[in-house]
Amino acid sequence: MVTKTEETQLNRLEGQVENGGGGAWDYLCFVRKLKVRRSDKVLKYGLSILNDPKKRSSLGPEEWTLYEQVAIAAMDCQCLDVAKDCINVLQKRFPESKRVGRLEGMLLEAKGSWTEAEKAYLSLLEDNPLDQVIHKRRVALAKAQGNMSEAIEFINKYLEIFMADSDTWRELAEIYVSLQMYKQAAFCYEELILAQPTVPLYHLAYADVLYTLGGLENLQAAKKYYSSAIELTGGKNTRALFGICLCTSAIAQLTKGRNKEEKDSPDLQSLATAALEKDYKQRASDKVSVLGSALKSLKVSS
Amino acid sequence: MGLGFAIGAFGVLILAHAAYSTIQYRGLLKIMEEEFSGPPMNVVVELLVGLVLCMWAALTVPGKFLSIHPHSDENRIVSLPANMDFMVFNHRGKVFPSAMDLKLKH
Repeated sequence: MVTKTEETQLNRLEGQVENGGGGAWDYLCFVRKLKVRRSDKVLKYGLSILNDPKKRSSLGPEEWTLYEQVAIAAMDCQCLDVAKDCINVLQKRFPESKRVGRLEGMLLEAKGSWTEAEKAYLSLLEDNPLDQVIHKRRVALAKAQGNMSEAIEFINKYLEIFMADSDTWRELAEIYVSLQMYKQAAFCYEELILAQPTVPLYHLAYADVLYTLGGLENLQAAKKYYSSAIELTGGKNTRALFGICLCTSAIAQLTKGRNKEEKDSPDLQSLATAALEKDYKQRASDKVSVLGSALKSLKVSS
Repeated sequence: MGLGFAIGAFGVLILAHAAYSTIQYRGLLKIMEEEFSGPPMNVVVELLVGLVLCMWAALTVPGKFLSIHPHSDENRIVSLPANMDFMVFNHRGKVFPSAMDLKLKH
């Protein structure tokens, strides 16, 4: 989870490192801690540390973590030679390690030799059938080949054993959304909200899925979840505010002609609109007119 | 930190002194064979001063208060971590090989 403070800190560090202000190691540690994907930068600055013997030796045992981080970043950037060199260094240092074995499997993946990678993972699983990361890699392997049904099958098998792994639930939800299987995705997001009820982004994603599903009940539920996302973010999430506007206009369209007794909180939309207008005036004053016309078109259709 | 700790220690000393004075006062009452109706004024003042000092030290010395509001900047989650365990390498970056000719040299 990346909070607002951490995000600003990361951006500050990134700017500092890019302008040659030093602090590359702190930046790499921070990237690792927040689990953000900045492979190109990790590769560039990580290699500059690794290629400097003085800096490298000052890291102590952290050096090997850096080798692993750089190896994965290099695979992500398709710099396979660098990845190979890093893995060789690690292999020399830790000859029997499973973690290095996993890196070798990933290198095979990056090369595109799927069957060999699968073989490598299966042999690693034989030694330790409950290795979570290897199971996840097999899912990624199926995903990389575009074989989504197999990926879903693997994830489901994995989730039967490790039900509390919310990252995997999220991955499953994202796969379902990419396949337009919204009902299943909604189930995954429900599971995520149950596990971590204070994360506004899950509420937001669930509301998005419900809105996409459509239907009066789903739209009303979506509106509620957008509202809870707004509550949890203090109204600083623009997407949730727009979601409220869209939901209200869609609900109004569906209930047009029917008796409007059960119209709940009619001022919710006007509140959301006011918040949006204020936010746009503050941060993008040249887009206020665009926002106004977009909101007007929503109201006209209702 | 040092100042707050010293003030806290001083507050505890004052409280201890108040306790000691009360015991002494009770002893005095026993000798004079009078009823105990309430602690003397100086003990009450000492207790209040000690309470304030100890409370102030307890609130400042251990550290800063963290926000519990879900929408404060420290707690508001703006992005979820990239699912690195499910990282896939055959993405469009493959088509645009990075111009960097980086090498690990040893």
